[in-house]
Amino acid sequence: MPALSTQLLVIGGGATGLGIAWDATLRGLKVVLVEQGDLGQGTSGRYHGLLHSGARYVISDPTSAADCASENLILRRIVPHTIEDTGGLFVSLPTDPLDYPDAWLDACRKQGVPAEEISPAAALEREPLLNSRLGRAFLVQDAALDSFDLSHTLVDAIRRAGGTVWLRQRVETLHVESGRVVRADVRSFRTGEVVTVGAEVFVNAAGPFAGEVAASAGIALPLALGKGTMVAMAERLVHAVVNRCKPPADGDILVPIGTVCILGTTDTPVASGKELSIEPWEIDLLLAEGEALIPTLPDHRALRAWAGIRALYQPPQSDGQPTRTLPRAHAIIDHSANDGLAGLITVIGGKLTTFRLMAEETLDLVCRSLGVEAPCQTSETSLPDPAHGQLSPTKRLAGFDRDGSGPKPVETICECELVTRSDLATAIERDGIDELDDLRRDLRLGMGPCQAAFCAYRAAGIVHDLRAPHMADAGLVDFLNERWRGMRPLAWGHTLRQMELIRRIYLDLLCTSTAPEGQG
Amino acid sequence: MTHLIVIGAGLTGLFAAAHAAERGATVTLVALGRGGLALSHGCIDVLAVEPPLEAMSRLDKSHPYVKAGQKALRSAVEQFLGWMEQEGLPYQGHLEQNLRLPTALGASHSTCLAPAAQAQGDLEGKEPVTLAGLAGFRDFSTSLAASGLERIGVRVANSVELPLPHQASVRDRYSIDLARRFEDKAWREEVARSWKTRLTGARRIGIPACLGLTSHPEVWRDMHERLGALIFEIPTLPPSVPGLRLENALRNRALKAGVRLIEGSRALGQVDGRSGGRRAGGVVIHAAGGPRALQADAVLLATGGFLHGGLVARQDGRAQESVFDLPVRVSGDRTALTAGSPIEAQPYATLGLLVDSRMRPVGARGKAVFENVFAAGGLLAGSDRSSEGSRQGIDLASAWRAVESSLT
Repeated sequence: MPALSTQLLVIGGGATGLGIAWDATLRGLKVVLVEQGDLGQGTSGRYHGLLHSGARYVISDPTSAADCASENLILRRIVPHTIEDTGGLFVSLPTDPLDYPDAWLDACRKQGVPAEEISPAAALEREPLLNSRLGRAFLVQDAALDSFDLSHTLVDAIRRAGGTVWLRQRVETLHVESGRVVRADVRSFRTGEVVTVGAEVFVNAAGPFAGEVAASAGIALPLALGKGTMVAMAERLVHAVVNRCKPPADGDILVPIGTVCILGTTDTPVASGKELSIEPWEIDLLLAEGEALIPTLPDHRALRAWAGIRALYQPPQSDGQPTRTLPRAHAIIDHSANDGLAGLITVIGGKLTTFRLMAEETLDLVCRSLGVEAPCQTSETSLPDPAHGQLSPTKRLAGFDRDGSGPKPVETICECELVTRSDLATAIERDGIDELDDLRRDLRLGMGPCQAAFCAYRAAGIVHDLRAPHMADAGLVDFLNERWRGMRPLAWGHTLRQMELIRRIYLDLLCTSTAPEGQG
Repeated sequence: MTHLIVIGAGLTGLFAAAHAAERGATVTLVALGRGGLALSHGCIDVLAVEPPLEAMSRLDKSHPYVKAGQKALRSAVEQFLGWMEQEGLPYQGHLEQNLRLPTALGASHSTCLAPAAQAQGDLEGKEPVTLAGLAGFRDFSTSLAASGLERIGVRVANSVELPLPHQASVRDRYSIDLARRFEDKAWREEVARSWKTRLTGARRIGIPACLGLTSHPEVWRDMHERLGALIFEIPTLPPSVPGLRLENALRNRALKAGVRLIEGSRALGQVDGRSGGRRAGGVVIHAAGGPRALQADAVLLATGGFLHGGLVARQDGRAQESVFDLPVRVSGDRTALTAGSPIEAQPYATLGLLVDSRMRPVGARGKAVFENVFAAGGLLAGSDRSSEGSRQGIDLASAWRAVESSLT
């Protein structure tokens, strides 16, 4: 017997799953979402930060391009606080194909993707660090979108509308009875406890893990997994998103977001959603491509590197095709039609920019199967910035009492991202904080230039004070290791100096290695 | 009289410059910035193994201690202790056994020499410990320190959070601001009055290291008298006040000994000597008007490792020495340079210059590159100082040996 029943169970708490749960609550459905990690721990939190204008895909994938263009406008309207309207540029360098820009511009017009040519001089005036030998330049409507902000906003909206979001819980088995998925066993990583949840419809939005979810219901789901590696530079070297005006390739984009800018991305086929290790060639390629755009790039500090896994649906006939050339558009698979298994829908692929559209289409299908008539409302519903959400450092700076007249001076715990003691205290009191890395995803703690050199110790102390010992013990070394992991692929020059500073503090000064087990 | 140019003003460079000047050399100290002492606990770590000197005999022959020799270490330490006594910043401890001092994380720090105010915190001490944090000061967590100590079996009698007088401030409190405030007698009076009732019964009180910067011994003694209990200091996150005190003391010593100090100048390379390249004629530095040649009889590189710029790691996995482009032991595979956690030993940390027994950097065949260029401190190959707990001992021993070699 299920311990709990709902209409819709969503598996996966990335942007796709959260969008689906949000859409469902707006249509009046009872919904439970299960995410195996923390918010932003998967692919959505590991993306490059680009809100696509659509211009990237006008030639290679016109459907995606048109979807991106319309969703771009909708997201600017409904979640403006997650977006920084940086604008975008497409530039062609002397080494890029000469005939591409005209074909590309033509395709932009056909797809209704706005693009306006400006002179190379005007482009250089906007972006003084760009390669002065650029040939042609175009303005597009790219922007930066913070996926951590977006995730928090969606969870807040879902919960306020009566939906349920469970983090750090994993769907272990989907139980099938008479050709229909009827319930799921959900295990909590915290307690190890298993709860059985019954639902009328199950949506598999598990991204790279969607194959495993499908397999647990006994069906095969052919996926192509591609690993994308990104490098964050420690400063914003450009004001606008800068794209190479050439066919999509590795390392063709630079996105300014928050205090950094991100060089993205590579695309390497992998066998599992856990293959996140970064190869030296990926780093060398990204930095070389970045240097082609910004010739002084090697003088600037690379902050850290990470990889995310994008999962695309691979229909059987497309076997062996490189993942970059597979359609970027999402696929919604109704397993009752495909596999004779009712009650299960898989949503796969797509882009963060189109998460809302994917949710809308999925819910149309869900509602049809439930016999519910409820139109989609997401494109017309603004989502408020949750008070505890991700705030940009500029917004945080405005909130600082810095005239000294307050009762107590503000204590800045993370100077890079302007996280204060009270920000931490508020976050720690909320549910779902198990370790320092959770605070990072909530507050950006430790994500800035010092990569937690200073704030890891300070935050561990505060957590220890407020949350009793267990948390700081579990978190400090893990937190440092996680920061270290992102710097290791870049261990030379300025980045190595930063790594060495971290060792000076945590080994020479604090003797972290000789501290007792668990403490670090 | 020998003219020695020392490049770098960290522990190694300051110690070497002062030592050479006291030995009668004409010394020019060229510094690009400040060295690493603001990051330092101010102690002299020699080797975090018991007993440290005995463990040294087991070190690899490429280790800086083996190059410099135990005599250099003993002489340097003796010299150091004497100087600090004379500079009014007395140190305690010796080479035979490590002190075990508490860190701000409640771990045990093994070190041979410590400023007196830290040495009182020795974990072998009998008096029970009271830990006292300062309200609104981020860089020392009383509760982390207390729970850490309890886990390694050190009984913490009590931990308290002490108030600080309100101060209109436009920024956060740093250890160095607090240290300066403690130099003010009226401030100490006010602080001691509000602390006293909160520390009733405390016998030995550990507080974050901020008891004065330039007049620390007097501040420390005064607080001890006012509170009627022994106080010891625990180093905080950087800027670390005990390291800065040590920097002040060594700098004063060097200037008094007649060292000429050129600050804010990058050393660019060698002045060609008329020796067929076997001797450096001096150092070219970047000065206000452009490059400038400083002639010298000998040059001592104390430019530090990767953190301070004496060594520069490159994307291709190799490393460079930044002034003379001297040969650095290389790996060529950058993925093999780091380990998975910052608290593990790191292969990159052992990269650096190989030297002969006179501390002269050598080429592939073991022969000195220049007859009169010496190296000491963080840029020497052969030791992961953070993992060994040997950083300052290597600095002093290698500086002493390099100076002695350069003057003979």
